[in-house]
Amino acid sequence: MAIDKSNKPQSYMSLAFKQFKKNKLAVISFFMVMGIMLLGVFAPLIALEDPITPVLENKLQPGFWAGNKSHPLGTDELGRDIFSRIVYGTRISLKVGYMVIAITAVLGISLGLISAYYGKLIDLLLMRITDIFLSFPPLLLALAVVAILGTGLEKAMLAIALIYIPQMARIVRSVVLTVKELPYVEASRALGAGNLRIIVCHILPNILAPTVVYLTLLLADAILYTAALGFLGIGIDPSTPEWGAMLSNGRDYLLLGYWWVTVFPGLMIALSVLSFNLFGDGLREALDPKMDI
Amino acid sequence: MNIWKYILKRLLMVVPTLFGVSLLVFFIIHLIPGDPAQVMLYPKGTPEEIEALRHKLGLDKPLAIQYLDWIIGAVHLDLGTSVFSGEPVVTEIFRRFPATIELTLGALLIAVLVGIPLGVIAARKRNTLIDYSCITFSLLGVSIPVFWLGLMLIFIFAATLDWLPVSGRITMGLSLENITGFYLLDALLTGNFKALGDVSRHLILPSISLATIPLALIVRVTRSSMLDVLSQDYIRTAKAKGLPGQRIIFRHALKNALIPVITVIGIQVGSMMGGAILTEAVFSWPGIGTLIIDAIYNRDYPLIQGVVFIIALIMIIINLLVDIIYAYIDPRIRY
Repeated sequence: MAIDKSNKPQSYMSLAFKQFKKNKLAVISFFMVMGIMLLGVFAPLIALEDPITPVLENKLQPGFWAGNKSHPLGTDELGRDIFSRIVYGTRISLKVGYMVIAITAVLGISLGLISAYYGKLIDLLLMRITDIFLSFPPLLLALAVVAILGTGLEKAMLAIALIYIPQMARIVRSVVLTVKELPYVEASRALGAGNLRIIVCHILPNILAPTVVYLTLLLADAILYTAALGFLGIGIDPSTPEWGAMLSNGRDYLLLGYWWVTVFPGLMIALSVLSFNLFGDGLREALDPKMDI
Repeated sequence: MNIWKYILKRLLMVVPTLFGVSLLVFFIIHLIPGDPAQVMLYPKGTPEEIEALRHKLGLDKPLAIQYLDWIIGAVHLDLGTSVFSGEPVVTEIFRRFPATIELTLGALLIAVLVGIPLGVIAARKRNTLIDYSCITFSLLGVSIPVFWLGLMLIFIFAATLDWLPVSGRITMGLSLENITGFYLLDALLTGNFKALGDVSRHLILPSISLATIPLALIVRVTRSSMLDVLSQDYIRTAKAKGLPGQRIIFRHALKNALIPVITVIGIQVGSMMGGAILTEAVFSWPGIGTLIIDAIYNRDYPLIQGVVFIIALIMIIINLLVDIIYAYIDPRIRY
């Protein structure tokens, strides 16, 4: 770390921000992530057409490469504008992503905290349970949950979150285990602080950095798994403008030469996943280069 | 602690995991909202049929007895019968398994044979254009959805260029005696070279799609572990002794650099089971992945349970082997 000439004390956050700004790739990814989020928020303003209603007379039209100005990315097998569907798809992917993050954060952090802080039998039991969940391939676990609960966006969220809760719990647990032995926690306890105060004031701030990094990378994975479930046709209703489902609808037309129906949704998935991955990597480097996620 | 003690300890750790997995898989059928027998026969199914199925699956017995029955059956390789086809679940799984193993091995071979050299080259040419392209390549590899890549490969190499087949394991109508279920092996054993060529051609595109994620990770890990090793004292000593660069890389550095790579490969074999589900769906590959997807469509819960259980079992065994191999090749590791 460079020595600051002004000798002014610097906060952890401003140092992290400086570090992040140095990483060009991370800055680019930040703007891409922002762009994707704005695309979701302003979907009704950006989209050209309604993403769900079929317009059969427009079906399978090529896009801008054939001079098509009203459907820049072409239309799908039901005549719906692919650009508009991709824009609305951002909402679905991000919605699933945010919900997965929320569920994972709440349950993962609580379980990890309980496990590490109370230790002994509870810890042993909880860690054995996470072992069990970690011995399934992630996609298989999600499929099993969908098989039990049935299809639907909410169930897909739950299925995907279940993949990450055990991992999140493990990360939080390992951080808490190292933090809770530190002298300042002991000092705080000697001063009469209760468990709750120690957890909220001393432990939680320490797990903030790894949690934020993990959740950002998780968003990338969640987008990928949502698309995978959509592609397999067991996550989401096929008429929903979900990227994976769009791909799967277009596969039969791919062999007939209508490549745009599959190419563009796939590019959008790859672009979003890449952006969130790069952004997460950049955050990790800025917040704590030694972090091991 | 000697290695045998470690292996024993590690084996004992598997027991509770195995118990938990079996419990979880057993409960799949009981967690369905509503009556499982009714759900399976939906939308048709008279009350008598539902009652008969319930009896056949043992759903009318107490839960503890059902679990005992299930686990005793599993130990005897009896995972019940498929509701959809009426065949034993184990038979269906074993029929499909060779296809998935063939695909996974093909992908693993590509990932290792391409990934390790790329990683070594990237490390040796650190901060050059070659290094940057390897990093970019590995970043893209983990971000591109497997199923989309598969579709693009089909579009380019099968539909447009017509070099390779679109889907399946073998061209319809081509005869191949089924001995092991591994088509490549069967073709070799029977000396059927026409089929050997055809089967290999079918294997190429699915293997490439499935290989991308492990390939990307192997490149990344090989590169960083190689950089780590190359900065060690003994490498400097070897250089100072005047050994040629090739020899240092292959005899001194690679051996140690590969230790973390082996762990990654082990972990990836497990995750590839998940990737195989998607790859098989894209290429209509008749393996375990398409089996479970069909089972989910058909609400064939005994079959779903069977496939989930067998795959989890394989994952546990692979993790166990990876830990043991790791302890063996790196004696510093003891937990």
